Amino acid sequence: MTEPLLAVDDLQVAYHRVAVALHGVSLRVMPQTIVALLGNNGAGKTTTLRAISGFIGLDDARVTAGSIRFAGQRIENRPPHANTARGVVLVPERDKVFPNLTVAENLTVAASSRARAAERRNLEALVFQFFPALADLRPRLAGLLSGGERQMLALGSAVLCNPELLLVDELSLGLAPVVVEDLTRRLSSIRRELSITILLVEQNAGVALTVADYGYLLENGRVVLEGDASQLRGRREIQEAYLGQVSGEERRSYRALRPAPERPHG
Amino acid sequence: MSDGSSHAREMALLGTPRARVRFAIALAALVALPFVATPFQLDLANQVLLASIGALALMLLTGFAGLISLGTAGLLGAGAYTVGVLVREIGAPFWVTLPAAAALGAALGLVFGLPSLRLRGLYLAISTLGLHFVVVYLGGEYEARSTLSTGVMIDSPSIGGWTLSSSRAWYFVLLAFSALALLVSVNLQRTRTGRAWRALRERDIVASALGIDVQRFKLMAFMVSATMTAVAGALFAYFRNFVSIDAFSLYLTVQYVAMIIIGGMGSIAGALLGAGFVILFPYAIEAIAGYLPARFGNTVFALDYAAFGVVMILFLLLEPGGLIGILQRTGRGKNGSKTSSGIAS
Amino acid sequence: MSLQLVANVVVLTAIYALVSTGYVLVYRVSRVLNLAHGELMMVGAYLLVATAGMFSGDPLLALLLAAICGLVMGIVVYVVLMRWMTGEAVLAAVLITIALGILLRGLSILIWTTQQFYPAAIFGWHNPPVKVAPGVQISAASLAMVVLTIVVYGGLFIFLQFTRWGVRMRAAGQNPLLAEQRGIRLHGVYAFAWGLSTFTAALAGMLLALDSGVESTMATIGLKAFPAALVGGLDSLLGAAIGSAIVAAAEIAAIQYVNPLLSDVVPFVVLLIVLAIRPWGLFGSREQLDRV
Repeated sequence: MTEPLLAVDDLQVAYHRVAVALHGVSLRVMPQTIVALLGNNGAGKTTTLRAISGFIGLDDARVTAGSIRFAGQRIENRPPHANTARGVVLVPERDKVFPNLTVAENLTVAASSRARAAERRNLEALVFQFFPALADLRPRLAGLLSGGERQMLALGSAVLCNPELLLVDELSLGLAPVVVEDLTRRLSSIRRELSITILLVEQNAGVALTVADYGYLLENGRVVLEGDASQLRGRREIQEAYLGQVSGEERRSYRALRPAPERPHG
Repeated sequence: MSDGSSHAREMALLGTPRARVRFAIALAALVALPFVATPFQLDLANQVLLASIGALALMLLTGFAGLISLGTAGLLGAGAYTVGVLVREIGAPFWVTLPAAAALGAALGLVFGLPSLRLRGLYLAISTLGLHFVVVYLGGEYEARSTLSTGVMIDSPSIGGWTLSSSRAWYFVLLAFSALALLVSVNLQRTRTGRAWRALRERDIVASALGIDVQRFKLMAFMVSATMTAVAGALFAYFRNFVSIDAFSLYLTVQYVAMIIIGGMGSIAGALLGAGFVILFPYAIEAIAGYLPARFGNTVFALDYAAFGVVMILFLLLEPGGLIGILQRTGRGKNGSKTSSGIAS
Repeated sequence: MSLQLVANVVVLTAIYALVSTGYVLVYRVSRVLNLAHGELMMVGAYLLVATAGMFSGDPLLALLLAAICGLVMGIVVYVVLMRWMTGEAVLAAVLITIALGILLRGLSILIWTTQQFYPAAIFGWHNPPVKVAPGVQISAASLAMVVLTIVVYGGLFIFLQFTRWGVRMRAAGQNPLLAEQRGIRLHGVYAFAWGLSTFTAALAGMLLALDSGVESTMATIGLKAFPAALVGGLDSLLGAAIGSAIVAAAEIAAIQYVNPLLSDVVPFVVLLIVLAIRPWGLFGSREQLDRV
């Protein structure tokens, strides 16, 4: 049984020391797999990612209990640059590029630290291989890119940080389905070519489950369901509650479909 | 960041019998003071009372309504100069000059407050800074024109045959004004205005969504605060019998800002504590300077500057809740309640 | 306007522009308004007095030494003080800089007293007037100031646009959290920005000292340069240069045609006008207003 690359145990996160966002989340991400983190707005997906990446100071939040272990080492409440140095790289949901820098400058900034010059050049070549459109966009200001182009730049910048674990927050948000399909294909090839591990947060379960190997469903700061992607796809609850999101159907709570013992709210 | 609990404490202060006893004791002590203190101590007390008016005014504006202002010195100067100009030009008595100062203060409050309708935080502070320089310039112009480059001498105010000049008499006058300022502050805190100001401080977008007329309340906050400050300035002119534009520097503004920070933002008691601290601080430094080698002892004001800067930095870094924060923390063990006040973000 | 007046405007523009670079660097990179900048400039000038005393026969060495001390001073200020305010409310950070300014002013007087110093005299240099055009002359130190300002602006532009550190600093200014995530150490970038800021301030202070001496009220010039930076948009070097020209022209015109006493207040009148019409300055963006 291989060791998980990322092990989150009973993670609790609180905002402003008062409002609790995560009530004990546990998950495992095996090396070189793509794991999907599903759930509605406010389920705690982004908070989980932020806790793992160290981005958590953004909203004055803190990990108040539990642990996050990356390659055996505890990384909770560490600053973002330390986690990046270890190989945990985040593509955030918003503010994912430097708007007043050109595409080329955005990529330069990302490639700064870890790798040696030869490694850097390899990675850069790979990035333009995954995202050929970026080559033509090099002189353009990142703030003027389209949504899809910006996401490509964000992914490319993240790859240039030489990640072992890539965290992607809301790959598909605000993008047309055709663009999303394209991006998920590229994400798969990135995983294959670089042998990296990906943790993907998505509101759109359909998109996520096409590319993921394993999945977790979060609701109100807790994991309520987990399993292989193929299993999850077949679950009626997921289909009814989440796959209808793209067409704007009314979202229903998982709990409404399957009565469960009442749990106290945090 | 919320002073809801200090609100409750204020109400409780006059509510419970124990609080009333404490209030009575404090009142007795205040009244007795001028009869037991030395002349030097009495003068110090007078300075603290005078400063507390300006401190309360600034606290209402910045601590309560969250509107940053660096214009205190300008407003104090405006009030002081109203007295100076009126006394010198037309020999006006105090019952003309004081209301005139108040009126000018209100008008200036409107002017200082206009930027707040569009600007927030840092930019608002900068605009009040600009206005400070304009006021200082106008005062300097007046001094230059009237060929009294050293300032304006003012006689003590008098009614009938009696002149207000003794420290003891001043004490009660200043106590009265300071109590008035305190009452205004406490009352505003409880009323709709106070609640509106607090809402402003948190989030004016939310406030306007709640139907609060943001513009009107912002201007009102500035006008009330400026009026109080200008009156304090006028009193200052009579108290020192002298007005000169040099006294109204940026450093004076910073001292008042320090009062509400060191005392504790958003707290009436904090403003009073802060006023006491900042006024007494130079004297403490002067006392220490006596023990230092002569070279340092000779430039006491520089030592004062340096020490003041250090203390301000220490409070900003280590104790943003100010003296009130310290008191609350040490008192927490007793009653178990937890409050926090700090610089509004 | 006579040519001499134009020359005066150019010199004053250079002074304000050089001082403004400090405001812009710190604000652009770390979103902090450093209101101690004037005092830091003054300390830079005093540093020259100190090094001039030590190396009176070798002015260039003294200048270089003082400038390097200026750079180090900024880094020290960040590491010892401002670092703790990173991530805190911006207003608190600004208040700390005000307190720092007061502290520096007090310390300067304690160390150097209120006496006026003339580093030029210490070097035995007479600061001769230089004829730049028929009927137009400015002091040699002023000419040096203009040249130096152009060099500094050019250097900063190249640095920020074309070097890796420069791009990192710009990135950190735009999105600090993302910068951290991409491996940029914010503390390092901020410390360097502060160091550069006090470096240029020290240069300005030294040249002013060579021109007209040093004394403790020198810091006011630093405060007067602030409106110039604001007019330009607080995070734009080009804007600071243009803003400096506007403020300098207004000030000289007011002194010449209206009233010499206006000299200290004109920059702030310009400030108020800009805040009333276009608060985010010439090259700033509207979002800036909400960030603070």
